[in-house]
Amino acid sequence: MRTIIHAITAVGLLVVVSLARIAYQTAPGYTASAALVSLVLLASSHLLMMSEIARREHTERALHDANRELESFSYSVSHDLRAPLRSIDGFSQALVEDVGEGLPPEARGHLDRIRHATRRMGRLIDDLMALSKVGRAEMTRERVDLSDVAEQVVAELRRQQPARQIAVTIAPGLQATADPPLVRLALQNLIENAWKFTSRRDGSLIEVGQTRDARGAPAFYVRDNGAGFDPEYAHKLFGPFQRLHAVSEFPGTGIGLATVQRIVHRHGGQVWAEGKTNSGACFFFTLG
Amino acid sequence: MNEILLVEDNPDDVELTLRAFRKSNIANEIVVARDGLEALDYLFCTGMHSGRTPSLPQVMLLDLKMPRVDGLHVLERVRAHPRTRLLPVVILTSSIEEQDLLNTYSRGANSYIRKPVDFQEFVDAVRQLGLYWLLLNQPPPSTPNP
Repeated sequence: MRTIIHAITAVGLLVVVSLARIAYQTAPGYTASAALVSLVLLASSHLLMMSEIARREHTERALHDANRELESFSYSVSHDLRAPLRSIDGFSQALVEDVGEGLPPEARGHLDRIRHATRRMGRLIDDLMALSKVGRAEMTRERVDLSDVAEQVVAELRRQQPARQIAVTIAPGLQATADPPLVRLALQNLIENAWKFTSRRDGSLIEVGQTRDARGAPAFYVRDNGAGFDPEYAHKLFGPFQRLHAVSEFPGTGIGLATVQRIVHRHGGQVWAEGKTNSGACFFFTLG
Repeated sequence: MNEILLVEDNPDDVELTLRAFRKSNIANEIVVARDGLEALDYLFCTGMHSGRTPSLPQVMLLDLKMPRVDGLHVLERVRAHPRTRLLPVVILTSSIEEQDLLNTYSRGANSYIRKPVDFQEFVDAVRQLGLYWLLLNQPPPSTPNP
């Protein structure tokens, strides 16, 4: 950027000087002062632009540093939180094993609740760490066959839950230029969500395809006919730990869509959703 | 049957690991070092362990984040010394930071296990670990004592 501005100023300087030389022959006094004024204007606009660039670069660096610091802080916090959790889970399990027989049922129930809660917190921490990793990961851009990735994700889900009857349609040849592991994680989260939120109905459908956004840029989508969501709360979908369904209905920590959003934003893209309660959901994303 | 050296600074984790070993019916003696310095003293028979009959554990379970001397430094020292350089070292930590994986594998760690929060999973991990490193795996031939 700096080089370009230097070059433009240099060209401007040459133009002013050569114009001045031609004009000088007809009206020397007038040309000299006009040239002087132009030179002063040129120089001051040059200086202003350079200082503005320096200022922006400084802000950008500070922002970048603060962001990294925040990411590594959240990582180390989540990391350190796991140690006490292991103790809580381990020793409550030890209690169950050692004296569980002698405990009244109510007390055993309390111990079960403790263990259930620690495991849930463990999952939350893991997801939080994964989210922070997404923010810090180095990015490269390559050609990625999203149809291929989607097929693999679905195959893995079918392997894990062979009993689920789900009709999945994946449009062939979905091409993107993106960071392969990150875009894979995003698509995996979206498809897993569709898989999860169709679990309480018969005739589940999932569709992965491509359309265009409002400005005509290519957008990919994952559509399902599952539980959907109340559009009034659509703005909450992508916030970390936001859930629009009870954990007892659909398990999860509420970090998946936050992860998707972070990945899409890192690619300079947009993510949005359409849906209605009990009428399915469709998640769209562009990759910049 | 040689001992297992457990290098771990968190007393709760020590207790839980010992419990997990007991539950897996692993009968090897387990020597606990509460930080890296104690581990090095044990391995090289120095400091608080000077005068002990030199023997090498069958496997060392090594935590990373510890006071005084951390796990990475212990690993470096162990790999640098001819007597201990072949000792099987299993990293047992709660970190899955990429940098930790890279640093330990590139310094010659044999295995890297993340302690799970769920104690049942931890017991399973310890059982498999014991089975593999104490029974299945053929240890390196013992090298001459210093």
